[in-house]
Amino acid sequence: MMARGQGMDDHKRHQRVLLVDDEEAITALLAPFLERAGFAVAVATDGEAALRRVDDFNPDLIVLDVLMPRLNGREALRRLRRAENWTPVILLTRVGSPAERAMALEEGADDYLNKPFEPYELIARIRAVLRRAQRGGQPLAGARRLRSGTLELDRQARRATLTGRELPLTAKAFSVLEYLMLHPDEVLGRERLLDAVWGWDYPAATRAVDTRIAELRRTLNDDAESPRFIETVIGQGYRFIAPVEVGR
Amino acid sequence: MKRYGLSLLPLGLGVALAALWQAGLWANPILYLRADLGTLLLLLGLLGSMSWGLGLALWALADRRREQALTRSRQEQADSHRRFIRRLDHELKNPLTAIRVGLANLADRGDGPTLTSVRAQVDRLARLSTDLRKLADLEAQPVEREPVDPGELLTQLLELVQERPEATIRHLRLSLPRAPWPLPPVAGDRDLLFLALHNLVDNALKFSRPDDTIEIRAFEDGSSVVIEVADTGPGIDGDELPHLGEELYRGSRASSVEGSGLGLALVQAIVARHQGTVAIRSRLGQGTVVALRLPVIR
Repeated sequence: MMARGQGMDDHKRHQRVLLVDDEEAITALLAPFLERAGFAVAVATDGEAALRRVDDFNPDLIVLDVLMPRLNGREALRRLRRAENWTPVILLTRVGSPAERAMALEEGADDYLNKPFEPYELIARIRAVLRRAQRGGQPLAGARRLRSGTLELDRQARRATLTGRELPLTAKAFSVLEYLMLHPDEVLGRERLLDAVWGWDYPAATRAVDTRIAELRRTLNDDAESPRFIETVIGQGYRFIAPVEVGR
Repeated sequence: MKRYGLSLLPLGLGVALAALWQAGLWANPILYLRADLGTLLLLLGLLGSMSWGLGLALWALADRRREQALTRSRQEQADSHRRFIRRLDHELKNPLTAIRVGLANLADRGDGPTLTSVRAQVDRLARLSTDLRKLADLEAQPVEREPVDPGELLTQLLELVQERPEATIRHLRLSLPRAPWPLPPVAGDRDLLFLALHNLVDNALKFSRPDDTIEIRAFEDGSSVVIEVADTGPGIDGDELPHLGEELYRGSRASSVEGSGLGLALVQAIVARHQGTVAIRSRLGQGTVVALRLPVIR
């Protein structure tokens, strides 16, 4: 049933997750849930406690609530990154305006999830972020430039180039490409993309995502049948299949 | 009231000056003013016109003040409503998260059907609170202003809804002007406008019966594009019409149809953000037409 991973790997330890939320009802229920999913879990109730726990628990990943007393999640994340600590972080946000989300990614969160999230979705995100982190290299989330082969993305200037030539992309299409490249090799559903880039995820509007993907493919000269960059996963969404690294 | 008080000012001034001179502090000579009737009438006319004009100016000023106060109080009301919705959404999120995790914990312990139906209800609550907040956000956020071709938008919308089973058993038609020229572009956020129009057609499909006709039509009218979604459905009671755009309002006939009661509120919020208007006309037993009016790019 649990035939995952490297088979006989006996000393393969449980991956450690530090769960930070001031709401006891959530931590009390979420910690056992994550444990049953195979993680070793420690709990902290505010940002200061979280920073202390980072040192002695040495987590592989931190699930960090944004709104907390004393030191909020955003500030805790900033301090962590300023101390050159690159432990992957998933932010739990509550006020989900698109600007706020973009900020979360720029401040060095590896992903974010809106409350009230589906707990299985949290596990999927944790695994995806851990997989990305294991592959090594500098984390993509806080990077100013992303690169995949000859495709380069300047996140601050909001410009994309392919073999040095600037791509004429709309703002929305650029944000979709950015989100795809920040989550390489992960299947991203249309609704998740809508939520992340548009800020709303009314099911009727999933066409809007397809329209932007079509625009991206056209400008990237990417064939949907045998894609170099963006693959369609039928019935599920899209996946950025080329390897992505931090650009200079 | 103050306005009437002010009109007594000249009289008061006259009384005061008269009292001063009557008191004998200064000489109080008798003046004989002579004028011919023509000049006198002219002067009277001039005086009349001046006071009339002054009165009107004061009146207009007061009117404008009143209107400004009304707009301000309406704005404040809307703001406070928005803040309330955000707080409500905010307060609901933690408990909803905890319930969802709790349900996931219970999932291993059996009674699947009960859990499934509880989960569905939690999803519904979560969706409702999120949708309410998004609606409030939409009213405050800036929207994109790119040229949008309404004809192309409606054609794509028709393609999308035609795939639905309800659409195949109704007469769905789109009519767009081609002569003497096609529809001019409007400025806005294409995806939001699509969402608004989709909600209207979705309503028409949901609230009509098999074999009913649904017409989507658009035309240019002065400096606006008018888009109408009309159906031969059961129609809406006149008493209910003014409430249709209210959040969570569900018409008496809507209770049997699935929906959140936010569809039309969303349409109104989107159209308002595009400086447009929404008008609904309906007759019981005959049908309903919703008309969106959006300004053309100049």
